[in-house]
Amino acid sequence: MILMTLAACDNGGEGSRKQGYAAVEELKSERIGVLLGSTHDRYAASHFPQAQIFQYKSPSDMVVAVKSGKVDAAIYSSAELEELMRQQQDIGIIGKSLYSTMLAMAFHKGDDELRTSFNRFLASIKQNGVYDDMSTRWTKTGNHEMPVIPESKPATGTLVVGMVHDMGFPFITVQNNRLVGFNVEMLDRFGVFVGRKIEYVSLDFGSLIAALESRKIDMIGSVISITPERAKSVDFSDPYYEEQAKVFALKKNIAGAIPETDKKSDGNILTRFLSGTAESFQSNIIQENRWRLIVRGLWVTVVISFLSTLFGTVLGGAVCFLRMSNNVFFRSFARAYISVMRGTPVLVVLMLIFYVVFASVNIDPVVVAVFAFGMNFAAYAAEIYRAGIEGIDRGQREAGIAMGFSRTETFRHIIIPQTVMRILPVYKGEFISLVKMTSIVGYIAVQDLTKASDIIRSRTFDAFFPIIMVAVLYYFISWTLLLFIGYLEKTINPRFKRRTVPQQA
Amino acid sequence: MITVEHLSKSFGDFSVLRDISVDIKQGEVISIIGPSGSGKSTFLRCINLLDRPSGGKIRIKGIDMLDRHTDVAKVRQKMNMVFQSFNLFAHLSVIDNLTLAPMKLLGKSRQEAERKAHELLRLIGLGEKYYCFPDELSGGQKQRVAIARCLAMEPEIILFDEPTSALDPTMVSEVLSVIRRLAKEGLTMLIVTHEMDFARDVSTRVFYLDEGAIYEQGTPGEIFGNPGREKTKAFIRRQQSLYQRLFSADFDLYSLNAEVESFCSRHLVPLKSRHGLTLLIEEVLQLYGTSSSFFPIDITVNYSEKTGQLELLLESPPGSANPLELQGEDSALGLAIIRNLLLDREFTHSDNRNILKLYLKNP
Repeated sequence: MILMTLAACDNGGEGSRKQGYAAVEELKSERIGVLLGSTHDRYAASHFPQAQIFQYKSPSDMVVAVKSGKVDAAIYSSAELEELMRQQQDIGIIGKSLYSTMLAMAFHKGDDELRTSFNRFLASIKQNGVYDDMSTRWTKTGNHEMPVIPESKPATGTLVVGMVHDMGFPFITVQNNRLVGFNVEMLDRFGVFVGRKIEYVSLDFGSLIAALESRKIDMIGSVISITPERAKSVDFSDPYYEEQAKVFALKKNIAGAIPETDKKSDGNILTRFLSGTAESFQSNIIQENRWRLIVRGLWVTVVISFLSTLFGTVLGGAVCFLRMSNNVFFRSFARAYISVMRGTPVLVVLMLIFYVVFASVNIDPVVVAVFAFGMNFAAYAAEIYRAGIEGIDRGQREAGIAMGFSRTETFRHIIIPQTVMRILPVYKGEFISLVKMTSIVGYIAVQDLTKASDIIRSRTFDAFFPIIMVAVLYYFISWTLLLFIGYLEKTINPRFKRRTVPQQA
Repeated sequence: MITVEHLSKSFGDFSVLRDISVDIKQGEVISIIGPSGSGKSTFLRCINLLDRPSGGKIRIKGIDMLDRHTDVAKVRQKMNMVFQSFNLFAHLSVIDNLTLAPMKLLGKSRQEAERKAHELLRLIGLGEKYYCFPDELSGGQKQRVAIARCLAMEPEIILFDEPTSALDPTMVSEVLSVIRRLAKEGLTMLIVTHEMDFARDVSTRVFYLDEGAIYEQGTPGEIFGNPGREKTKAFIRRQQSLYQRLFSADFDLYSLNAEVESFCSRHLVPLKSRHGLTLLIEEVLQLYGTSSSFFPIDITVNYSEKTGQLELLLESPPGSANPLELQGEDSALGLAIIRNLLLDREFTHSDNRNILKLYLKNP
């Protein structure tokens, strides 16, 4: 982010932009935005070798980058762009289309049964006019209602489909807290066709093929074009749509385009700010009941944080026990565990567990997240415990034993209560960083708070409001949980419930 | 009550206790004294198995402590310990320190345990400190609480491991008077201590430990009044020694004087005694210097920190005469000076050594 900002400053390029771009060729040494891993990405790299290429993880990020001037122009697909321009009047298309690609569904290599059945389904809807109706509704008229799809027979079994949920109209997006779009309707219909219930899994574009290869999903239903390279790892269906790659930019930077007049130019700064905020609040939270998405994400974040802390606390105790054991094997095992867990990013651990360890198991990604964060937390917790226990002088343990307590009783009545009081302040800090760390679970298809804001941004293209809101909410979660631990700290510290000398003599 | 047979303990190759056998009866108060590093604390810690003995047998009230089937924790409940560093439970208030073990181990109700705790705290004079935390107490108060914590378990034996060594001199007496009081109540006690006066007053028997063994034992009267063996004597009198050997009449007097000087200042020998001692050494060696038959001479200076007594021992080869009985013009003045400095003198001759002992007057 900082890098991009810096680059934006370096390459202000005001001079070259005065006239505005008239043709794609004029972009050859400018800043160009693309979707990470898309065909546009490769095209830009080979055709604009002198340009600075910025890769974005979601279309909304890319659009926001264009609108805020972080990039001069971006490459995107025609159908999505048409939809986008219906909503965002200040962007326009430069020149003609660059090339065309074919969109298709992707299946496991060798899963011919499912693939041919999809091809048969595609041929049938093309024949009976359903396809034409769908394509007109979603891509031409701007009608975003999902039709009721008649079910012929009750579904037997499920079909897990991975897709990028915040792709944007017309193909896949979230509206009124529901997944809608051309692809969604087509897949729902396909589900009825094969008599299976479709289960949608939200993934990043970059994780789609990995998820398919590790059999986390049965097929990719996202917007993905056929390339020879991808065809090496997956099998594609017949193409269902032809897309044009086009370059778009802000209208004021395009030669001949008429920029929108700024509607908010009246009034002073304060009223403009207030009305802007109110508008953002309306579009990001109220509209389509988007707050529900946030509440659900909030709940997921809280659940993951809480359960991983619980799991990590217990596991940390076990690791600490091994670490302090007299057995050389146990001790070195624990030492290795701690050093590996502390030395690798939790994101890597998360992905490894999801895509490698549990590759062939159908497991709730929330459980995987709890595992991964818990394992990471345990490594830190174990060392915290150890420091706490070793910090208590040997004499107190000896006193306990000399009084007639067994080793375990001494540990329980004398060592543990003191350790807990000592470690809580450090433990609190670790806990907060865990809460914030959970914001990466979007990588394994969990819709947490961060992901919820991504989805909202994909619809509203508002860079500021959802991010600030998420920041405030994270702060709020940490603060509440801290209050809770603070309360715990008080109740277990005997000094807070100190009694006074009774008056009896 | 406590029977120890052939107890030994070593840490690795280093042997701390060697073949200790004692029999302690109910109600005895045993003081264990001896120089640092003689294994006193280890002996105590072996009795309740805080340190596991390397060999030998320990029986407490007839129960074999080293038997695998013995419930050692159960025995310890009746044999508590007071530590040099107090070891109060830092997270518990004074009252909770006293009630924890009775409630958890003896199954007493909180009410009952607290009633007993109040009673004990009043007994040791800390009735006002029920709800204080250990870090709010002075050292002496902490140690008294630690003693009360032991008593709360109603033990039959208490082991005291240097209970006053970590205390300021002003706080020693408050702790000792509590222990004195317990001694009168018929508890069996083993006390490792450096407080000799206290050991003499309070104990029924004294063990003098040196080099990992009981070097001498007896009643306080015997040990403190009339110790039978050399090391005990030196220890009781808190005797410090300086030893030098002179090979010939051409010895370096200045170097010898410097040694004596530094010995005296190290042990805070009063200035007047110091002058007397150097003068005495000079005059005596003058007499010895008259004949080479006296050499080599072994010189030992002994200083008792307790009494302030200085003594000078001169050992010369057998057959040599007593130099103080030499007659002659030259020696008359020297002899007069020497006589004037001395309290007493003693000359013994045996087969292999002639020993002259000179006791200096206390100025």
